[in-house]
Amino acid sequence: MMTGKIIFGIFVGLAGGFATGAGFVAFLTVLGVIPRLTQLTKTMKMIHYYEGAIIAGVVAGTWLGLQETELSLPHFLLIPIGLADGIFNGMLAAALTEVLNVFPVLSKRIGIQEKIIYLLMALVLGKIAGSLFQWIYYVDL
Amino acid sequence: MAVVYIRMRNRVQAKGNQTVRIKDIARIIGPEEVIIKIEEIILLTVKKEDKNIIVIDLAQVIMAIRKVDPTIEVETFGPSQTIIEIILSKKKMSYLTFALVWFLLFVGGGMTIMNFHVDVSMGEVHQKIFTIITGKVEDKPLLIQIPYSFGLGMGMILFFNHFFKKRFNEEPSPLEVEMFNYQQDLDRYVIMNENKENVRRLDDR
Repeated sequence: MMTGKIIFGIFVGLAGGFATGAGFVAFLTVLGVIPRLTQLTKTMKMIHYYEGAIIAGVVAGTWLGLQETELSLPHFLLIPIGLADGIFNGMLAAALTEVLNVFPVLSKRIGIQEKIIYLLMALVLGKIAGSLFQWIYYVDL
Repeated sequence: MAVVYIRMRNRVQAKGNQTVRIKDIARIIGPEEVIIKIEEIILLTVKKEDKNIIVIDLAQVIMAIRKVDPTIEVETFGPSQTIIEIILSKKKMSYLTFALVWFLLFVGGGMTIMNFHVDVSMGEVHQKIFTIITGKVEDKPLLIQIPYSFGLGMGMILFFNHFFKKRFNEEPSPLEVEMFNYQQDLDRYVIMNENKENVRRLDDR
């Protein structure tokens, strides 16, 4: 009876992991962040290693997130981790904005094709300001 | 009998009341004396009723050439129509509209990222990362969150390959490609719908 429960538990866990992992990869593929990174850095050949990095990151994140692990490492390590976290999220956000096709339509409507880069910077600065406001001030309310 | 090669341009701009000649909308290659004759052929004059877009089909151009000299043989390549964009008055961009849109995007961008963070419990995740790395509990792990916030902006800039005027390499950014695609879609729509040679309704006869 016990063995059956364990096998069923393993099966449910594996199935859930499969579905979530496939969904995550589909999400990354749609947004095209990794191809964009290889294009910017001209490292198309290394794309398989980037796949490996994503998988390793996902597995490590899942494991650490589900356990009560405490590594007791120095505080300053948090700075590069936070920065990388932010850059990745920023690229996701930018890819989403682009998919929405808001900018081409917007620039046509108000007739500013050349100044569109300033509108982009508005969005970027807005995201930074909103994020800082939230963490420093809003969470205390 | 002379052979001339014609290549229509994709998009040209014209002012109101301008007369559009063949040389304005197409590139012509052939014997010099024939080109001089053809290039100056007037196709149309821009009128108020034309609104802001006229599509000229290759068929119209060939017809106009044959009217002048039916013995010229016309070979064509490239696009088969030209879109004329009429600039009625150089629209001056209003700085107020620009400022309003800028403000809208700024506030909107800030609000959506906050909503996203609450939606995915980003704060709790940061607290958890803080505990994993340092072994201490911290309500406001600003050591992660401040670099995170600036990284957010850097990631967006990296994706778009632009920092104000400065760009990181020569490739077009995804935004420029997207703008190009949008313009292409608009052009294809206009070519199909504004081109009189393409549409023929039953009551047109």
